[in-house]
Amino acid sequence: MFRLQGSKVLAVDMTGDAVKAKNGSMVAYDGQMSFKKLTGGGEGLRGMVTRRLTGEQMTVMEVKGRGTCWFADRASEINLVALQGDKLYVESSNLLVTDAGLRTGTTFTGLRGASQGNGLFTTTVEGHGQAAIMSDGPAVVLRVSPQYPLIVDPGAYIAHQGNVRQSFQSGVTFRTLFGEGGGEAFQIRFEGDGLVYVQPSERNTIAGDL
Amino acid sequence: MSAYGGTYGTPGGPVVHDPMTLPADDNVNAYTFCVELKSGQWFLQKGKMIAYYGAIEFNGIGHGRLDRIVRTSFHSPLHASDWVVAAGSGKMLLADRAFDVNSYDLDDGNLTIRAGNLLAFQPSLALKQSIVPGFLTLIGTGKFVAASNGPVVFLEPPIRVDPQALVGWADCPSPCHHYDHGYLTGVLGGLRAMTGLGGVSGEEHQFEFVGAGTVLLQSSETLTDGGTTGAVPSEPGVPGGGAAAPGGHGPQPSGQPRLPGQLGDLQRRFGL
Repeated sequence: MFRLQGSKVLAVDMTGDAVKAKNGSMVAYDGQMSFKKLTGGGEGLRGMVTRRLTGEQMTVMEVKGRGTCWFADRASEINLVALQGDKLYVESSNLLVTDAGLRTGTTFTGLRGASQGNGLFTTTVEGHGQAAIMSDGPAVVLRVSPQYPLIVDPGAYIAHQGNVRQSFQSGVTFRTLFGEGGGEAFQIRFEGDGLVYVQPSERNTIAGDL
Repeated sequence: MSAYGGTYGTPGGPVVHDPMTLPADDNVNAYTFCVELKSGQWFLQKGKMIAYYGAIEFNGIGHGRLDRIVRTSFHSPLHASDWVVAAGSGKMLLADRAFDVNSYDLDDGNLTIRAGNLLAFQPSLALKQSIVPGFLTLIGTGKFVAASNGPVVFLEPPIRVDPQALVGWADCPSPCHHYDHGYLTGVLGGLRAMTGLGGVSGEEHQFEFVGAGTVLLQSSETLTDGGTTGAVPSEPGVPGGGAAAPGGHGPQPSGQPRLPGQLGDLQRRFGL
């Protein structure tokens, strides 16, 4: 029921069911739709408090009805993710629409989040259904398997799913202090079994200039 | 292979890449380029690597072990701090702010490119600073990767191009400035350009190329320049040399920073 129209507009066909979408991302609809803002990301009081505490805030609306609803946000590229009982980790700012049946929550990411400059926490999406994530330029989906670990620049990382361990890898040496660093001082290493989404663009991070 | 091998990458879903399916030295999509390293080396602009598989090491140009390769293929001390050498084995993805990226092959040739547009090149090419400030020249045989805002168009001289759309040129046509006659003559022309009264098209100044070769243009007037690129040493006869030229690049011959329609031009016209 999620389909992309071009690469920057998402069309969702609904028959009385609902989706959760980033607040204000609806660009058009036909049929009967109701839009309801969900306080605290629709995760109840506990989720609301957690999000406030962790700074991983997102304003979400519930869209419910019959017909087709179109979503877009600042002409970002949209990527569809199919979840079959596994967990998707994504920054709240990159999450556009999820099936109402998917559970969202927050989780601690540790140093990776800090190196990306968007906090120590990230959003998780779990269950069976579809989600749409946004990226600056079309995302490249890279497979992580036990024999092929993957190393990603924190500024280009947008999301990952599956059973993946991430560790923080630092290339800071005494040369970095002399301004002769390799330009890739901080990296995230993914090991295990899953998929990683990277965008062809880098956010500004503290590590960008090292 | 793995649990995710079966579940994903199915027709209709997103294309999933792994080290086997990633192309070797080719585009993954219009905005991402994949370089295959087989215990080889590539020069890379800092911070343009987005992900890699395998064992790849990134070292600044000043790294002692790289002295030999730097001596033979890097003749651009101004830009040394912007460049790193990637060495090792694996596949590495390059991208730049979601600009279009493309690779080009040089066969015993030369190509001059705006410094901010060049992303990476093989060490079989030599990188030199162009006499034109803000541009770099690649000489030799090999592959390089360049970014542009929109696809690149190749054109033959004689041609006049917009300064902002120029990406570079190959095989040495002669680059020079061209000003529209009306822009230069009389006080009124100058006033018009300065105030916009009477209408300016914004196209009074172009770069003109004559001679044999190819000119590369991007299909947008948004510059892809990153940060500043430093200044060339102050020496008599060196264009852009001296204390001025804070950016070190740009369409104008630096020497005195000149704003569009600045009074300086009128003064010169009056002989003051």
